[in-house]
Amino acid sequence: MLKDFFMLAARSITHRRMRSWLTVIGVFIGITAVVALISVGLGLNKTVEQQVAGVFGVDTFVLVPKGSFGPQRHAGGSSDQYALDLEFLKSIPGVKVAAAVRQRTGFVQGPTKADGTSTQGFLPVMGLSTELVNEFESFTGKLTVQPGGRLFLPEDKDVAVLGADTAERLEAKVGDTLLIAGDANKELNLTVVGIMAPNDEEASTGSSGGFSAGMQPAQSKDTIYVPYDTMSLLWGEASDVLVTLVRTQPGADVDEVADRVEKELNARGSEVSSITYSDISDAIGTMTTTVSAFLAGIAGIALLVGAVGVMNTMFTSVLERTKEIGVMKAVGARNSHILTIFLIESGLMGFVGGVVGTLAGLGLSALASMFIGRFFGVQMAVVASPALILITLAGSFLLGAFAGLWPAWRASKLPVVDALRYE
Amino acid sequence: MPLLDLRGVTKDYKLGKTVVHALRGLDLRIEKGEIVAIMGPSGSGKSTLMHILGCLDVPTSGEASIEESQISSLSEKQLVELRGHKIGFVFQTFNLMQTLSAQQNVELPMIFQGMKKKERAQRATELLTMVGLADRVNHRPNELSGGERQRVAIARALANDPEILFADEPTGNLDSESGGTILELLKRLSTEYGKTVIIVTHDPDAAAIAERIIHLHDGRVVEEVKNA
Ligand SMILES: Nc1ncnc2c1ncn2[C@@H]1O[C@H](COP(=O)(O)OP(=O)(O)OP(=O)(O)O)[C@@H](O)[C@H]1O
Ligand SMILES: [Mg+2]
Repeated sequence: MLKDFFMLAARSITHRRMRSWLTVIGVFIGITAVVALISVGLGLNKTVEQQVAGVFGVDTFVLVPKGSFGPQRHAGGSSDQYALDLEFLKSIPGVKVAAAVRQRTGFVQGPTKADGTSTQGFLPVMGLSTELVNEFESFTGKLTVQPGGRLFLPEDKDVAVLGADTAERLEAKVGDTLLIAGDANKELNLTVVGIMAPNDEEASTGSSGGFSAGMQPAQSKDTIYVPYDTMSLLWGEASDVLVTLVRTQPGADVDEVADRVEKELNARGSEVSSITYSDISDAIGTMTTTVSAFLAGIAGIALLVGAVGVMNTMFTSVLERTKEIGVMKAVGARNSHILTIFLIESGLMGFVGGVVGTLAGLGLSALASMFIGRFFGVQMAVVASPALILITLAGSFLLGAFAGLWPAWRASKLPVVDALRYE
Repeated sequence: MPLLDLRGVTKDYKLGKTVVHALRGLDLRIEKGEIVAIMGPSGSGKSTLMHILGCLDVPTSGEASIEESQISSLSEKQLVELRGHKIGFVFQTFNLMQTLSAQQNVELPMIFQGMKKKERAQRATELLTMVGLADRVNHRPNELSGGERQRVAIARALANDPEILFADEPTGNLDSESGGTILELLKRLSTEYGKTVIIVTHDPDAAAIAERIIHLHDGRVVEEVKNA
């Protein structure tokens, strides 16, 4: 019987072809907007997660100054450097590798020039763990030095690598000696072993994209880089760490290790928070979900307009077919039959709008992903979520049926005699 | 024991503040297998009477019963049931579904009774053959002549094998030739198939096939004539 009701509904839809199509278009626009926006939102989310995963790997976490990440972040309330006992950190169970970055401003005297003078001044000095360069390239990007130079080796102590601009200003070459003064009359003579390639910034954007730039302390052209341990010869124990990267033992639970590290370091006076991959993806998830929900809300308005269109068409249809309804009742149709036929009719229009709209929405989101991807220079993930498609199709039928509920109910309640007398 | 029995039936329609008395105390008995014509000037209450006899409407007062059951005491559901099984209607303006073929139009009442597709199709074909439209089963109403449409409507009215067939001005929109075919058909339903046929009409030809003619005026029966 239901099959026959579908047939009756379909007949009356195709009978009023023009109006039915216009109604379907109303639904179609709304569904297209919803599907496209949600798909782009999902794609965006996935893309960002892929990017983050590429940088982080799942076994790595970062230690940043307390309160500098997450919803409780507050401006100026926290210092942007912290104290750290790197050797202690390395000894915490679950930690495999750890690398940190210290930063100070030091008095620097360049090599003696031919005329006996030398350039001097205050410059930023950064201490980098050797592991930072070897183990965490996805964070730092590829650090490259100009030909003839090199980066740090594990046994290095009294050496420095110069940013390209610094080398130029100090007129220093590989093999020259610099003098750096630290706290309390501590000073060291450092041999220049390498000069950063001037195009470092471009080189570093390759694998890690824009994300690591924010996490990346090394790479400034006017900085002097020294081995991490050399910093303590100049400035004592580390109280000036910018960022620490930690890789966990294989098989360890990263979030658990990160929590333990954070707790133990804080107990020893390091004001740090850990950020794991899941923290970041949660934060991104929240952000993109909010954005998607907002966009879907806008699309929902379009959908509502479509629903009102269906309702309007159904009211017209009921009015036009008053006599038909009377005849159907006179030949034995129950009220529930009439209700069902009209609900199927409006549901079908919603469904057709849903099918066309889903296809168009997926197409549109693929297109939009292409443009967004090209704009930001990334490969955007295109997401065609089966759940989304199923929900949309079922939802569009229900939307149509729901919009038709009132008109259909009115149709079913028409008294037979009045309907028969209707001209 | 009459099939249809009306005693003192009135029907009022409220139109704003005024009340239209469409039927004003009407007594009428119709026996099973009879063929009856109801005549009278426009507005005399013929259609109203037919709607009450056909269980499409209930009287304002008085008693109307069909096979001993009081119409006013029946629930809406029981009325629907009666309409579906015992009663068939034929209208002046045919009232076929424009979107359906002749066959589908005839199947419609059987769909509402939940009859199986195969059974339905077979019965529809039989009925269309009986009314002489075996070669028109797939035509839409707008591809049929008026007389043919009315024959489809009669086939539809017979779909659930009702006991009583009501026809409101069945020949009103037809020329005398196709009207004649319709009347012959209605007569045959009474004589061959034992149906009770009630025809509301202005047409003397239509009245001529009836065994009994009931004249209405102003909502009352003014005359009953037995045809020879
Ligand atoms: N729904 C209604 N509301 C108000 N008045 C009505 C309604 N239906 C019928 N009437 C009135 O009841 C009276 C009888 O109407 P009815 O349709 O039964 O007449 P009829 O004899 O069938 O006329 P016709 O030969 O023109 O079809 C008329 O005066 C009509 O105006
Ligand atoms: Mg009438």
